[in-house]
Amino acid sequence: MRILKENKIKRWASILLPALLAAFSDGPLAAYELNLGTNLPPVDFHGFVSQGFLYSSKYDYLGDSSRGSFLFSEAGLNASFNPFPRTRIAAQAFSYDVGPAGDYDVVLDYAQAEYTFNDFVGIRAGRIRRPEGIYNDIQDVDLARTWILLPQGMYNARWRDFYVNLDGGEIFGNIPLVKAGSLSYEFYYGLQNPKLDGGLSLQKANLPPYSPLTSINSPQLGGGQLWWNTPLDGLRAGVALNYDRDLTFVTANGRQSDGSPFTQHYSLEYLWKSWTFQAEYLRFKINYENTGGGPPPSTKLIEPDSWYVSAAYRFNKYIEAGTYYTEYYADVNNRSGTGLQFPSDASQKDAALSLRYDATDWWIFKVEAHYIRGTAQLLDNADNPSRNDDGWWMIAVKTTFSF
Amino acid sequence: MNNFYLKIGLVCVALLAGAWPAAALDGVVIIVNKSVAADRINDAALKDIYTGRTTYWADGQSVKLTVLDNQITDKTDAASEEVSGMDASHFKTFWQRMVFSGRGQMPKEIGDTAALVAYVASTKGAIAIVLADADLKGVKTLKVK
Repeated sequence: MRILKENKIKRWASILLPALLAAFSDGPLAAYELNLGTNLPPVDFHGFVSQGFLYSSKYDYLGDSSRGSFLFSEAGLNASFNPFPRTRIAAQAFSYDVGPAGDYDVVLDYAQAEYTFNDFVGIRAGRIRRPEGIYNDIQDVDLARTWILLPQGMYNARWRDFYVNLDGGEIFGNIPLVKAGSLSYEFYYGLQNPKLDGGLSLQKANLPPYSPLTSINSPQLGGGQLWWNTPLDGLRAGVALNYDRDLTFVTANGRQSDGSPFTQHYSLEYLWKSWTFQAEYLRFKINYENTGGGPPPSTKLIEPDSWYVSAAYRFNKYIEAGTYYTEYYADVNNRSGTGLQFPSDASQKDAALSLRYDATDWWIFKVEAHYIRGTAQLLDNADNPSRNDDGWWMIAVKTTFSF
Repeated sequence: MNNFYLKIGLVCVALLAGAWPAAALDGVVIIVNKSVAADRINDAALKDIYTGRTTYWADGQSVKLTVLDNQITDKTDAASEEVSGMDASHFKTFWQRMVFSGRGQMPKEIGDTAALVAYVASTKGAIAIVLADADLKGVKTLKVK
């Protein structure tokens, strides 16, 4: 009861804070610009609040969706300003909930200082967003995309604590390639901020030996994102590579796992007139060394991968529609699920159809249908005790206010 | 089969040669605040500003990109699309991504041309595209090379 009450308070606080600022903004949910004085630069505020609903025909996925779940919310509030030449400071508070993850905790999403030497090179330090692929650094910003649910094999909404940001620094810039477009780069290094109740814990609790985390370190993460902005307007190709050094966690049964995950992420995006075409491929590899907790020491290689292709079309200022198809495999070495208790846990294939309606510049509605086969990403064995490869539906609805 | 690869090769050569067609900025001008030292700008530099790759002028002051809200004129809309390489929807989404990932500041949206010119005139580092026949009092125009 107390937890329910705390959740309600957190939820309303995360919604009311951006709403209050919006109420004081210049016009209907326009960005709020705070002037600090004639000799000081103004501070820009932006924010958003999203509320969604998930319903699935068969399994509980991303919450209690088989009964219909409203535990699908996000809110963010950011501020930025330029205190000195070539210098910018920016920070964002963020809160979210998707089923068992997030829990409306308000977190410092990013808080960074940035100095840009010139177009070719700049540095950014503090808590920074991690660039990876088209969506990783904006995966919780509903207004900046067509879809409600991004392809979950690549941008899992429950893993944001582990994936979205890091404490450290990066070097970034853009190198012109004369007639061949330009090359944008970001190389980063720092510490991650995984949570005990985050996506990794959820996964461990729902995969053999079914034991949630009791401790986890903040592993070092290094990597980079390169984008080739081709001479053809709107066409870019990207590659992101990153390496976690010494991820260590202990599960409730006393088993300690150590590993160093390596991720490859390849992206292609083409914006042509009112069309958006995207395709991405992700591969993740970690070789765990497991010790303690009773069983003899062992090693286990885990190598999931995922891909998707998508197309979206903007009909006019108000209406946009899109579709994507994505596949996720929990282990590239066992795509058929041989030997698993439920072979359907080896993969998840999802065909999605989305419709977005921009009622105003600051208020959008979305509705989305998913036809899914496979159960690899349910991560909720308690509510899904029996699983098979039959197809099932999920419907998502979401509205977002922004300023 | 050989023809297929030949066509692919020709397209790639055309891309690398920068041969993709580009229209002119007809009927519009680029205006900046008088604090901006530059008198002219080339296509590539303009594009870098509209796509967030250039965020500071040469003297270090911040580029304040300013746009007309809701694409009030076809000409400024077309010019913005041509300069950025993105239509209005993609342009807006692109900058939302920049802002909420902490990588940029949202372009200032202004409701009408007169107000936009006034904002550029009063804001250090500001830049905008306006109709060539607008009243450009208090601002400087950049020649596009």
